[in-house]
Amino acid sequence: MAQKEHLRNFGMLAIFTIVLCVLPSQINLYLRSVIMFTMMYVVLSLSWNIISGYTGYVSFGHVMFYGIGAYATGILVVDYGWHWVPTLFVGVFVSFVVSQCIGYPVLRLKGPYFAIAMLGAAEGTRVVATVWESLTHGGLGIGLPNVENSFETYFAMLVVMLITIGVSYWVGHSRFGIRLNAIREDEIAAESMGINTTFYKLAAFGLSAIFPAAAGGIQAYKILYIDPETEFFILITIYMKLFALFGGKGTVIGPILGTFILYIVQEITWIEFPTAHLIAFGIFIILVARFMPRGLIGYAINRGWARKGMVH
Amino acid sequence: MAEAEIALDIQNLKKYFGGIKAVDGCSFQVPKGKISGLIGPNGSGKTTTFNLLTGVLQADSGEVFYNGENIVGLKPHQIFNKGISRTFQITRIYREMTVFENMLSASSMTMPLREARVRAAELMEFVTLTKLRGEYGGNLSYGQQKLLEFARALMTDPDLILLDEPAAGVNRTLLNNLLEHIHHLQEDQGKTVLIVEHDMNVIMNHCEKVFVLDYGVKIAEGLPESIQANEEVIEAYFGHK
Repeated sequence: MAQKEHLRNFGMLAIFTIVLCVLPSQINLYLRSVIMFTMMYVVLSLSWNIISGYTGYVSFGHVMFYGIGAYATGILVVDYGWHWVPTLFVGVFVSFVVSQCIGYPVLRLKGPYFAIAMLGAAEGTRVVATVWESLTHGGLGIGLPNVENSFETYFAMLVVMLITIGVSYWVGHSRFGIRLNAIREDEIAAESMGINTTFYKLAAFGLSAIFPAAAGGIQAYKILYIDPETEFFILITIYMKLFALFGGKGTVIGPILGTFILYIVQEITWIEFPTAHLIAFGIFIILVARFMPRGLIGYAINRGWARKGMVH
Repeated sequence: MAEAEIALDIQNLKKYFGGIKAVDGCSFQVPKGKISGLIGPNGSGKTTTFNLLTGVLQADSGEVFYNGENIVGLKPHQIFNKGISRTFQITRIYREMTVFENMLSASSMTMPLREARVRAAELMEFVTLTKLRGEYGGNLSYGQQKLLEFARALMTDPDLILLDEPAAGVNRTLLNNLLEHIHHLQEDQGKTVLIVEHDMNVIMNHCEKVFVLDYGVKIAEGLPESIQANEEVIEAYFGHK
């Protein structure tokens, strides 16, 4: 029974992938960019979902890992003449190390204290990126070599997104994910029932830190210019959270659906109502929060269209 | 009568919360392979003792020997993995996880998923929760949550089971089933059980040995009958004549 379900999901993902592979050659540069950034937000919201949706540690500073990835690529390409692809691995590695160093003390905090600590960590990283001029070029930012790269970055983002979806799927259908859920639901009970909560929290935090770094690196190579204000912009954290919450946190399909719908709504409101775009978007969010507080998937579960839980 | 083997040897355990002496030099020995009861008036330190034994709280001083090994200072998951499992006074099931997921979460890392699924299914069957397998834990009635927690505590087949008020909120029929199962665990599988309970029927009819706490100190121990007649115990519960 479970096998059938996995097969069905895999089939859906395969169709989705084929469409995304064929699409870029059929559309113009602008749409190619829109879809690339949509995929980027899928990566970000799924990653945020691992630590905040499954494990219940709501991060308000996840843009930090994205910024670290962007800076790893910017610095290595411009100052050290690397090809951009290997820089992604450096970004991922640095991001992982940072996540473990920050996570060890910070994951002891709960609820709002953790959220604020992460907000502070992200802001702190932004300040470091601004002040450490010899490494990051400071507030001037880094300009990358100008080349046509919309296909390369599109497919790189597609690969990163597929890996993120794959890992999220594993988390969402394994005992690893169940243990993360247990930590979210009741950490004392989880610890008393044999779950090494420190280990699991750090593992979840590490997983949720590596994919944004890769996405940040690709994005830096795509937009060709990075500076601390845009790479550590708090709105990016808010977006990834919003997309995950809209779709349904603690699920795999939720953040994917949420991003595809909301990012495109956001893009359309921006085109159609450039002056009122944030207001229109804001109203939409309020309506969703009022009528679907648990997101699309939560709504489907309440209606009996989807099953509760992740392992059956 | 020869002294029975000791499962849990508690020596001079102390835990103060500021000026409150929750557990104040408590010592007792839980016999192996038997059902023992831990009673005392409200605030006498029973639950604190449980939390000290399972590592949820760290003792200020004292020792707890489990199979000859001092387990004070270990983390809860380490103690759990040594074979000590528990339930909580106020149930701590995972509310937004299904009954089945609640069960699976407690399965040991070394147990293959296939076996864990079978064991979870067996235990759910036993506590009559099979029909609710896909329901959220939080949607269960309080009594059902108690049963779920009890079943979850048995997932890893622990040797020592600590039950914090298993009878509270559970209807009589279910409670009798539960007690029957506890007896079965003890008699057929040689498990050790320690029960904190306010329901004296449960304690007097099902425990072989009873420990009485008052103000964080053990004031009496012995067979249920002797406890019922103990002057100090009566005084602790009802005050001076």
